[in-house]
Amino acid sequence: MSALVRGLVAIVVLAGAAFFMGDYHNDVYRKLLLWVTLALGYNFLFGICGQVAFSHFAFYGMGAYSIVIFLFELHMPFPLAVLAGIALCALFALAVAIPSTRLEGFYLALVTLALGQLFIVVLGEGGSVTGGTGGIANYRLPEFFGMRIRGPWYTAVIVLLLVFTYAVVKRLDSSWFGRACRAVRDNPEAAAAMGVDVARTKVIAFTLTSALAGVAGMVYAFVDNTVNPPIFGIENAFLLLFMVIVGGAGRHAGAVVGAVLLFLLPFWLSPLVGHHHALVFGVLMVTAILFQPAGLIGLWDRFSRSRS
Amino acid sequence: MKRFIAVLGAVLLAGAVQAQETIKIGVITDRVGVSKPYAEPATEGMMFGANEINKKGGVLGRKIELLIEDDQSKPDVSAALARKLIDQGAVFILSVSLSPATQQQQTVTMEAKTPQMTPMNSADYLTTQLNNPYFWQTGPLGSTQIQTLLAHAKAKNLKRVALITDNSDLGQAIGKAFKGSIEKAGIQVVADEVVPLGATTATPQMQKIRGATPDAMFVAGVVTATNVLIFKSYRELGLKFPIHASYNLSVPIYETAAKGLVDGITFVDAYDPDKPEVKAFEAAYRKETGKEPVNLNGYGYDGIHLVAEAIKKAGSTDKEKVRAAMQSLTYAGVMGAKGMKYTFPEGKRTGFDPNGMVVRVYQGDKQGRVVHVGLK
Amino acid sequence: MQDFLELAVGAAASGCIYGLIALAYLLVLRPTGIINFAVGEWAMLAAFGGFLTLTRYEWPYPVGMAVVLLFLFVVGWATERVAVRPLVEKGAPILAPILALLGMLVVFRESISVSFPPDPMPVPYAFGIGRLEWGLLGGTYQSFFIIAVTLAVFIGVWYFFERTVAGKVFQAVAIHRRAAALMGINLSRVTALSFGAGGVAAGLGGLLVAPNVSAHYLMGVPLAIQGFSALVIGGVGRVEGALLGGMVLAFAEQLTVRYAPIPSGYAQGVPLLFLMIFLLVRPSGLLKAKA
Repeated sequence: MSALVRGLVAIVVLAGAAFFMGDYHNDVYRKLLLWVTLALGYNFLFGICGQVAFSHFAFYGMGAYSIVIFLFELHMPFPLAVLAGIALCALFALAVAIPSTRLEGFYLALVTLALGQLFIVVLGEGGSVTGGTGGIANYRLPEFFGMRIRGPWYTAVIVLLLVFTYAVVKRLDSSWFGRACRAVRDNPEAAAAMGVDVARTKVIAFTLTSALAGVAGMVYAFVDNTVNPPIFGIENAFLLLFMVIVGGAGRHAGAVVGAVLLFLLPFWLSPLVGHHHALVFGVLMVTAILFQPAGLIGLWDRFSRSRS
Repeated sequence: MKRFIAVLGAVLLAGAVQAQETIKIGVITDRVGVSKPYAEPATEGMMFGANEINKKGGVLGRKIELLIEDDQSKPDVSAALARKLIDQGAVFILSVSLSPATQQQQTVTMEAKTPQMTPMNSADYLTTQLNNPYFWQTGPLGSTQIQTLLAHAKAKNLKRVALITDNSDLGQAIGKAFKGSIEKAGIQVVADEVVPLGATTATPQMQKIRGATPDAMFVAGVVTATNVLIFKSYRELGLKFPIHASYNLSVPIYETAAKGLVDGITFVDAYDPDKPEVKAFEAAYRKETGKEPVNLNGYGYDGIHLVAEAIKKAGSTDKEKVRAAMQSLTYAGVMGAKGMKYTFPEGKRTGFDPNGMVVRVYQGDKQGRVVHVGLK
Repeated sequence: MQDFLELAVGAAASGCIYGLIALAYLLVLRPTGIINFAVGEWAMLAAFGGFLTLTRYEWPYPVGMAVVLLFLFVVGWATERVAVRPLVEKGAPILAPILALLGMLVVFRESISVSFPPDPMPVPYAFGIGRLEWGLLGGTYQSFFIIAVTLAVFIGVWYFFERTVAGKVFQAVAIHRRAAALMGINLSRVTALSFGAGGVAAGLGGLLVAPNVSAHYLMGVPLAIQGFSALVIGGVGRVEGALLGGMVLAFAEQLTVRYAPIPSGYAQGVPLLFLMIFLLVRPSGLLKAKA
């Protein structure tokens, strides 16, 4: 089957599932799909390009807040608001990425960590623009051609986002850009010697994945029709990192596995273990990494290898 | 642990059993995150209250069953849990976690037309940002707190005051409410400081406040550790102006965690230990659980009783009838000044009587007598 | 000006706390290349240890302090044994132990969260509440105590690394692990000891700051972030850098709040902005490593 057909089948299956779920499962499913989308983008940045960044959620939040502010406070037409939001995220990403090209490893991590925290401070102090610490509610997705997209149809929109993001990172990964990113990740000097513009590669990777996160944020804004600072806090950035590593960094399938597992785990644990669910979660995380440092996707590899 | 197995078992049976089923009340609390210090005692108060109601025969002949979920103070998880509870047949949802989480749950309860109440959150925006007729707030609002404090301080003729809070979401919300009311009363706010969570000292902020020479300082913060830092700096710098604090100071931990620091501080409280309902509540709580009750338990206790009363008044668990019943309910609970009743005035969904708070003062390390009641 | 002098001792004390946490990072980072974000939770464990030994059981301060620090040494050693050594022996990439330690962060925090009530727990001051005036500078007993202890620790650590044979062994491992192993140095023992020492440093920081901030389950992450910032500002090459970085961070934070003409809410963002700009301009930190 060609990639296009595979993609269409995936869309139909994933979106179709939404129509068979009740409201609660639809809600969890949507948020799960969004986390998978974020994990795919983050996996490209972290796993394939080797950049440790904690700013992914800040861009997610930037996308979410910007679409709400542009649409409902500045009353921009929808397409313009979307473009403006993407442009905003891309600009900020560039502003952070360009000076950071000289930084490696945990320095970039620290800059992006500070950025993530700064974002929350700005949100909280934003007064009537950002709704302050309570955030913004009381808005709805505008109608398109007289129709309001809601319920399982909106889940279909999220599926489209997911498939789009997957297509983008997959395409990039298999192109020369993906090879350049891996080269920069493994050995920047060797990459430079081979003619790769290291700085430009890093900047493009960071900006692109951050913009993807911003787009995901725009879609998120209409899931619960509310945005507030705690949603985009820094702990989520750590969870995202966990997802990608536990699943298997550098592998798209790994990002998916990690995101699905770690997002759903608290929902499963809470009724089972009650009060101590967070402790059990931590223990399971440590165990997962000790047991399989290359990521759980390694188990799948072994399984499929042993079968062939 | 037994309760959890009981709840789990009941949930599993929920779909199957038809006759004489329990009345399911959903509770969204925080067991591990930043709201834990107040969410946990409130939930314990709820469980105690539900037990008490069930012992007396339940509501409409049926027992109350609490379905308790932990949202970890994460608003988007919170919204998903609200849907889960509704799917499981909860007729009412009680929210005691973070205020933004309660807000996010509202988008769900509004759509699902399910009654929801926070017996505890005090952020003013919860009933104003969204026009959700199924949501009520019976926690003491930030605006009520400051107006009560100002009423008490009226005799002191304050002209210039300082305001200090922390950077938590509730601390900021209450700080805003404080500032608004203070300025409306014609008093100038000469310093407006924020102490971030995780700070190791509040001295720079207090120095700025000292430099502004205020007549008094209002503390809007709700994070105990940060408030303790503020009081420490206040003592270190040898400051003397009076301190008026939010309801966070009513939490009993200050008596041990802040020894020597709180003498003379006036604060608002929704709890009058001399009230007969309170005395009865405390005695029953001690007897049943063997633990010493705290005022935070009372919020949850009142919350579950309000829900029970509304269902009784409605005569059924039909959501529309319960909604109408709650909106027209009058109930005297544990919290609030003597004689205070929860009511929801026409078109409003905040139930805590603005006249229902008391001002108390710390004497030594102990929470002392009530020095003022209400807004007069 | 008087305000500045008044702030100076307190800011120096905060800087010392950050420096101790940064030292905890450093002691583990140099020989192993592993960033241990769980240092904040180690500090939290010491704070709760202080609550138990000093407040609840009311042991004399030196006894309680010694017990807590010993406990933290064991915790540090155990952390390495459980979460790091299996990965190193498997030859896992360097990121794996860092992730495992992040997992341990959650484990430590939640262990405390389920074992103690959520309210802040009091920890006593070393010498009680009181002020000391020293010329133009004034500060609390605790602030001076923190500064004195931190200076002693840093001098001790510096002396250890620069002047003792054992210290040279650590340096050797830090510079080149394989070469050190080839020279017969027991890598796993060095690693275990450095984790234990990191535990003690973090524990000291937690125990000394707890009387002010109280022991509570959320105190770890802010300390970990502040310590990490201090480490980066000071530079990872030299031990003194950790203390210098802590001082710079603390003074920047407090002087900004005190003197910057911006609304207080925004003042929280300034240390973050400062850190970001600093990193972009001078990522290697203030003190360069010795050649």
